[in-house]
Amino acid sequence: MKVGRRKFLGAGSAALVGLSLKTDRPIAGSFVNDNFQMGHLLRDRTSFPPAKHVEKFPAVIVGGGIAGLSAAWRLRKRGFTDFVLLEMNGQAGGNARWGENEITAYPWAAHYVPVPGVKAEFVRELFEDLGILKNGQWDERVLCFAPQERLFLYGRWQEGLEPAIGLTQKDREQFQKLEDLFAKFRATGEFTIPLELGRSAKFQDLDHLSFSGWLQQQGCDSRLVNWYMNYACRDDYGALAKDTSAWAGIHYFSSREIEEKGPLTWPEGNGWITRRLLERVGEKVRTNQMVYRIAETQHGVSIFAGDTEFQAEFAIFAAPTFLAPYLIENFPRLDDFVYSPWLTANLTLERIPDSRGAEPTWDTVFLDSPTLGYVDAMHQTLRTHIERTVWTFYWALAEGTPAQNRQLLLDKDWTYWKEAILRDLERVHSDIRQCVSRIDVMRMGHAMIRPAVGSVFSQERLRFAQPRREARIFFANSDLSAISIFEEAQYRGVLAAQSALDRLHGHR
Amino acid sequence: MGVLLFISVLLVAACGLIYELVAGTLASYLVGDSVFQFSTIIGTYLFAMGIGSALSRFLNRGLVYRFVWIELLLGVIGGFSSAALMLAFAFTQGFELILYAVVIIMGVLVGLEIPLLMRIVRDRYEFRDVIAHVLTFDYLGALGASLLFPILLVPRLGLVRSAMLFGIINAGVALWTTYLFSTQLSSKRGLRIACMVVLCSLGAGMLEARKITAVAEDNIYADDIIFARDTRYQHLVLTRFKDDLRLFLNSHLQFSSRDEYRYHEALIHPGLASVPTPRHVLVLGGGDGLAVREILKYPQIESITLVDLDPEMTKLFSTHPMLTKLNDKSFLSPKVHIVNADAFPWVDSNTDSFDFIVIDFPDPTNYSLGKLYTTAFYRAAARHLSAQGLMVVQSTSPMFARDSFWCIAETLKQSGMQIYPYHVYVPSFGEWGFVLAATHEYIPPTTLPGGLRFINVEGLPALFQFPPDMAPLPMPPNQLNSQILVRTYENDWKDISH
Repeated sequence: MKVGRRKFLGAGSAALVGLSLKTDRPIAGSFVNDNFQMGHLLRDRTSFPPAKHVEKFPAVIVGGGIAGLSAAWRLRKRGFTDFVLLEMNGQAGGNARWGENEITAYPWAAHYVPVPGVKAEFVRELFEDLGILKNGQWDERVLCFAPQERLFLYGRWQEGLEPAIGLTQKDREQFQKLEDLFAKFRATGEFTIPLELGRSAKFQDLDHLSFSGWLQQQGCDSRLVNWYMNYACRDDYGALAKDTSAWAGIHYFSSREIEEKGPLTWPEGNGWITRRLLERVGEKVRTNQMVYRIAETQHGVSIFAGDTEFQAEFAIFAAPTFLAPYLIENFPRLDDFVYSPWLTANLTLERIPDSRGAEPTWDTVFLDSPTLGYVDAMHQTLRTHIERTVWTFYWALAEGTPAQNRQLLLDKDWTYWKEAILRDLERVHSDIRQCVSRIDVMRMGHAMIRPAVGSVFSQERLRFAQPRREARIFFANSDLSAISIFEEAQYRGVLAAQSALDRLHGHR
Repeated sequence: MGVLLFISVLLVAACGLIYELVAGTLASYLVGDSVFQFSTIIGTYLFAMGIGSALSRFLNRGLVYRFVWIELLLGVIGGFSSAALMLAFAFTQGFELILYAVVIIMGVLVGLEIPLLMRIVRDRYEFRDVIAHVLTFDYLGALGASLLFPILLVPRLGLVRSAMLFGIINAGVALWTTYLFSTQLSSKRGLRIACMVVLCSLGAGMLEARKITAVAEDNIYADDIIFARDTRYQHLVLTRFKDDLRLFLNSHLQFSSRDEYRYHEALIHPGLASVPTPRHVLVLGGGDGLAVREILKYPQIESITLVDLDPEMTKLFSTHPMLTKLNDKSFLSPKVHIVNADAFPWVDSNTDSFDFIVIDFPDPTNYSLGKLYTTAFYRAAARHLSAQGLMVVQSTSPMFARDSFWCIAETLKQSGMQIYPYHVYVPSFGEWGFVLAATHEYIPPTTLPGGLRFINVEGLPALFQFPPDMAPLPMPPNQLNSQILVRTYENDWKDISH
């Protein structure tokens, strides 16, 4: 081995002072699942070659995320099989996509579903269908194993994510006050999942206020309280509290019963649900089918993808709604659809990093980090002995505007993100560089709808959510609910499928 | 000559400090309370050095001659100090007395060195140079010693040989001094012979140090460690004291050969003897082969499948003569199939059916092991039970971990089985508990295999009786998402140790 003189001297002097250089393992990886190029073709309204083939289906679903797959699931369950689902990417699932290596399967984005309450009927029906809810009992294996969450603060770990150590009297009072307020909001029945089933104009004023503004009105100035509220908004909405509607911020805390046993999770996160859905409707799914034009015709609707024109009676538009003006002819401009950009990364770990003696948990968060921490894909394993694992690292780019952050995602190379991720983890896991062998990074410019101020009660949004009687295109994306969660996507998908079925049956 | 002289000052200073560190470290290791040990030893040592310095004024003639003798004495006492103290701790009641006596003697001798040296060289240099040079090298030596000691000496040589190495250096300085100051010595021959004797004995000591340590350690630790290994999965230690063989996994006692028959007879026979026609048996855990030994007492059994995570463990208990004697070479029986796998995934993926299932895992001390005590696991295991099948679970102590024991019982019950908890007394463990579980009623056996030393038919009903201090407690079941057993178990033992 040849060692340069400078390196030798460097290593030598470091060794002299007792700092023998630990060699970091080489870290492989790249950007994965990028779809900027395809998105930009649409944005720039590139002209596509004319269609060579024609295929006819009564119904065509555009978009293979949870909304589209759920629409397909409902059509199929109602005995309707004469449809096709067109997915732009090579893999269906959208935000519930997953990956797999020789260690484990792992999520690419959404990684859990809270135990659904009674209002989330469709979700419960799905989970009964998937065999994990039987006679009101959840399959123990899909409930998140203990211990679930840990927060690193002040150089130590605590269980749970709401800061509970080092609180001043003031912090404690403010946490308590919010808890009481959220309980009251919960009791009103206005904040439900699906959101549409509870929402009335009663608290509409809260939608015109930012969540941070509302917190201020409540006198919440505690740093820890504000950190936690911001964490919640970044986690579920990819936005800071100041960029979130107060109605949506309250919804996060008041829409679910305080549940001891959840959430539901799997090594591959919600990818597990995608897999099960694909087992049921997979033969209807066509991947790598980028729809570039949708036109209503006299008797139906034409959907153009690749070299094919799909002639349908009805289309279910389950892709993100912001794409509609680029795809659908004569479609009005949209103003109330703001999306948060995200970055996720999967880290392959050849050994378990040092955690300062703590037992590993499912979800790990660091106080005051700009990132959201990571989830351990091996947490739901039934094995007792674990040597290697995959961590899914989450980063909602919430500081600054979505446009700035999308530009950042485009401009910075893989090395930049790799270093940023490692530096964040290194604060707690000092040996992380000796453990990681691979970091794959997924950039999502429009990862999730943002419930910005005014968006929950936006007229524009409500218009899409209520299908016109004569409509040929039914919108199904979770962004119609203004919040991007599994339950909303599934709800919207199922509703759109039902609307389509009603119309189809009406026609025949 | 100047430089050589001052190098010997440096060496002498290093030796002095090393002996002090050796004494402090040894006392900390053996007696504990390192802050107290180091404080008192350093204090005593420095005080003794003061005595030595004060005494130096009474030495007037033949300074070089006396200096050589002091070095030799220090070489012997300091060099053998560590070995002597270890043996003193192992074989006498008066370790502290001997410790401080040795520290004082060494301190006095070290205290004599520097004043004598200064006086020896005072005619060659200006007074201020003598002070400056001698003290400079004295402190330098101390620095070197204090760095060498923790970084190189203790890890590489150990305490016994470190002390001896510096004894050799002390004696080397003595020998060297006879040459350096040969003009000031009348009879050098006797001195040099004495130096050679000391050097040889210390050299021999270095070579034999291991034996000294071994002799001492055998007496320090109650039990002789006959096998210790960090396998991929656990820290495995086997100790022997006279006829008692003990296995520790991750520092938790697994069995003592003196009474393990009680544990293993109780684990196997109340259940297995009640199965009408047992043919196939599954053992989960139990890599020591002792449960299998008991199972092999039923000649009608055709196969025993043993699933244990650690191949090194099962290999050790298949090959080590002392251990195969203990388990009657049970792993060598053609009926036994050893599978080295993680139990939960194995139970999930395997489809065989068994007439008796033995679940003998380490106690639920962490969340990983806790998974093997959940309703999810017991449900998966129960799917392997044949129609006449029965399962037995080692369930910790109903006495020391009463909540945990009844939590395990409840978990089995909530997994859809009828439960039959029982307990026995195992001297090395204390009261220990097991739970039998089946989807049908359990009827205690009326016959047992011959040659049992503990379990008999008459005594069986009593095992199922729980006195008030071990009586059932209402506990929730342990599930993967709650893992309440791990916390319960931790609290149970915390209560005991307080």
